[in-house]
Amino acid sequence: MSLPGSARRREIRLAYLLLSPALLLLLTVLAYPIGWELWTSLTDLSPLSDGPQAFVGFENYRRFLGDAEFWRAAAVTVVYAAVTSVAKLALGLGFALLLARPFRGRALVFLAIFLPWAYPAGVSVIGWYWTLNPPTRTAYAPFMGHLKYVVDGAFGGGAWAFVSVILFNIWRGSSFIGVLLLAGINAIPPELFECALLESKSAWRRFHLVTVPLLKPFLALGVFLSLTSAFADLANVWLLTAGRIVFPVIGTHAYWLVIKAGQYGPASALSLTLVPFLLVVLLVLFRLFDPWEENPA
Amino acid sequence: MAQVMMKDLNKKYDEVHAVKDVNLHIRDKEFVVLVGPSGCGKSTTLRMVAGLEEITAGEITIGDRIVNDLPPKDRDIAMVFQNYALYPHMTVYDNMAFGLKMRKFPKPEIAKRVGDAAEILGIQELLKRKPRQLSGGQRQRVAVGRAIVRHPQVFLFDEPLSNLDAKLRVQMRVELKRLHDRLETTAIYVTHDQVEAMTLGDRVVVMKDGWIQQVGEPLELYGKPANRFVAGFIGSPSMNFVEVTATETNGALWADTPGLRVKVPPALAGRLGAYKGQRVTLGIRPEDLRIASGNDAADYSFDTVVEVVEPLGSEILLDLKAGPNVIVARVDPTVRAKLHDKLRLGLHPERVHFFDNKTELAI
Amino acid sequence: MNPKPWWAKLGHGSLMLLATVYCVFPIYFMLVQSLKTPEEDVFGNPFIVMNPTLENFEELFERKSEVRGFVGDALRRSYPFLDWLANTLFIFVGSVAATLVIGVAAAYALGRLRPPGFRWWRRAIFAAYVIPQTLLFIPLYQVVITLGLDDSLLALLLIYPTMALPFCVWMLSAYFQHLPREIEEAALIEGASRATAFFRIILPMSRPVLVAAGIFTLGTVASDFMIASVFLLTPNNQTITAGLGTFDVALDELAAVAGVNLLAIPVVTISAVFARGYVRGLTAAMVEGA
Repeated sequence: MSLPGSARRREIRLAYLLLSPALLLLLTVLAYPIGWELWTSLTDLSPLSDGPQAFVGFENYRRFLGDAEFWRAAAVTVVYAAVTSVAKLALGLGFALLLARPFRGRALVFLAIFLPWAYPAGVSVIGWYWTLNPPTRTAYAPFMGHLKYVVDGAFGGGAWAFVSVILFNIWRGSSFIGVLLLAGINAIPPELFECALLESKSAWRRFHLVTVPLLKPFLALGVFLSLTSAFADLANVWLLTAGRIVFPVIGTHAYWLVIKAGQYGPASALSLTLVPFLLVVLLVLFRLFDPWEENPA
Repeated sequence: MAQVMMKDLNKKYDEVHAVKDVNLHIRDKEFVVLVGPSGCGKSTTLRMVAGLEEITAGEITIGDRIVNDLPPKDRDIAMVFQNYALYPHMTVYDNMAFGLKMRKFPKPEIAKRVGDAAEILGIQELLKRKPRQLSGGQRQRVAVGRAIVRHPQVFLFDEPLSNLDAKLRVQMRVELKRLHDRLETTAIYVTHDQVEAMTLGDRVVVMKDGWIQQVGEPLELYGKPANRFVAGFIGSPSMNFVEVTATETNGALWADTPGLRVKVPPALAGRLGAYKGQRVTLGIRPEDLRIASGNDAADYSFDTVVEVVEPLGSEILLDLKAGPNVIVARVDPTVRAKLHDKLRLGLHPERVHFFDNKTELAI
Repeated sequence: MNPKPWWAKLGHGSLMLLATVYCVFPIYFMLVQSLKTPEEDVFGNPFIVMNPTLENFEELFERKSEVRGFVGDALRRSYPFLDWLANTLFIFVGSVAATLVIGVAAAYALGRLRPPGFRWWRRAIFAAYVIPQTLLFIPLYQVVITLGLDDSLLALLLIYPTMALPFCVWMLSAYFQHLPREIEEAALIEGASRATAFFRIILPMSRPVLVAAGIFTLGTVASDFMIASVFLLTPNNQTITAGLGTFDVALDELAAVAGVNLLAIPVVTISAVFARGYVRGLTAAMVEGA
């Protein structure tokens, strides 16, 4: 093997130089905090206790295993992530397929589908909250109140708030995934669809045998982004349930531990329980994307 | 206007030795074609001349400057790529003007040069369009236009016609040739198509596995291939190769194999004498075979059976079998041959080739 | 293709209608509320507005700090909405710009210069998404305080880009990687330096993908609530999002919804203008050799 030439060496140096701002930023804002959380999760750090921080090993993690609250939060998180992801994917795929062929007014429908994602979620979640849980004096409050009463009656107190979280997440996420998949469909050479049209008359078979496999990388990307946002979701749940957490997810549980109980150690451990799951999902994603990443000669 | 010299040029990647000891002297105003199968190192050689690939060892001179360490922009060259490499966000005019703008030419001069080039190439109407609005042939013209506006010392062409359909390719080939006659600029042209190489090149360089196989004028390569590879690569359909034994009968040398026995022409008998009793490869071009008539000496003809008939209009290709040996012959369209016909073929004694089985060099 | 039968057209049309209503209704609903007078809010039909008024919007700007002599008003907090607007604008523009500059640099390095192991670099950067960033605010706070950015907008400018960066780097580098290298080489031969080729050729021709990355960043940044509310404390330093989060539901509903819309209108307009470019850019990043 010969040494790379001087021009190539210069190129590599330039590459690292250009990468450095991004890496520096990610290290400061992500790597350090995650490292801190890792360490803290092995200690009993708390601003409320006087003594020095003590190393407790996996005590924090162990405690969760026997904690019914934790399992409840974990179950809710998984259900929340699964339900929203499946719904987003189904709706998003539907949107993308609807928009895949030209028709009159497509531009408008496309814009409509694009809106929920483009509408700033940081504030639209507030709008949702007030829409679904209106102040009692507004005209539609009785109707919403009735709905809340019915849902809470069926699933327990706080259910309506949680349903509104799910609805909001799906509403916004299906828009994002729809647009992403539309871009994916556009990236597929039309000949492949035409080929499929000759192969099979059944629209379902074509969808099943051609569209889905070709869209697989984009579906995987959509699922991953959807899962990460759902797993780490805190803001939406917190906001839409106005901090009255009846159905805690991992995120709100950890937040609660920090803010209300000052238990940094357990909270860190709790936050980190999510990471391995997401890593597994990510590895699957990379596998699915590999053919896409390979450089065509 | 300049000559290009390559001295002991080598290119090594991590695992691959792509170009090996290439020595080539391209004269001023000459049109030289590098030809060979894919992976033969021809494009790498061209890209080293362009400055797009680093030179592992050796030296390249353009004009009287050694350009090894010069960046591409300072080599005073222009290059046309297979995929045209037009700037998609610029109009045709801006595409062609880009190099001149980079070199800070005054505006009127740029307009004049682009106008001239557009006229030569017949693309005046397209100047305001964007590349995506053009057909393949038009894009190719723009790419050529972009190369000629700067009046560079050397043109480099990297398979410029490969993305065009067959008809357009022939047409553009003729135009490129005319353009070179008109501009008289040194040109290096890379292709895998031997017909392009033969029709365009003043000289043709045949490469394989990083080595130069032979350098010569087109007809020289055709008539006197230096080795078996060149012999098979140049010419279409390619040369027939039959492994034979050089035997001596009654003081004369014969090329002998089951189903085929022809006399070695006197001109070659001397050199082939050294191979007496050994296996060598006999090479005959399909166009050097004909249906034997009474005039053909029996010594230079052999019996065959027709296996496939391919009438092409201006000629007929016959796939024949002489014993176990498959032979292709290119014959007159008036020949009426049917499947399984028995034909006796004659050959031009002065147009047979023999190759050493080990070195593959011409004998 | 055969013309579709009437029932297929009808089915298609109603699906379109359904999708549109589903997507737009919540936004429409919020818009309608924000245009209502308090009277109509209480007594009117929730789905329409009979006497549209901009008074809720005006109120956002008017209510600086003076307290009007009336019990309800005394309860209402004062807030510097103009400051919020300016802060939000600054944060949005700044975050998108920072993300694009940093992202393009990294993506060019990975997709074009390809240092050894560039695929792993790209994966590592993308893997940042497995980190639940919203849960990291304690150590993040340490970082912010160490850098002296406590209660400063710059803290958001530090954090926001990292939320969009992994996706942007991934998308942009895939795009750069699949660009035919000959285009850049042609520019180098034509007399450009690497930098000139980048700024005159690569960057302009990548506009759709840059738009896509920009819109993605804007969407991500505009969707954050948590970071803004945790790190911005003083009202004068808050963004609209953080500020509205402090509103009291029962008292400020209409003004808050107006605030929501006021923020949404520019964001949605910009996104809508570039929506097609967004899809084109995503597609371009996904197609080999686009």
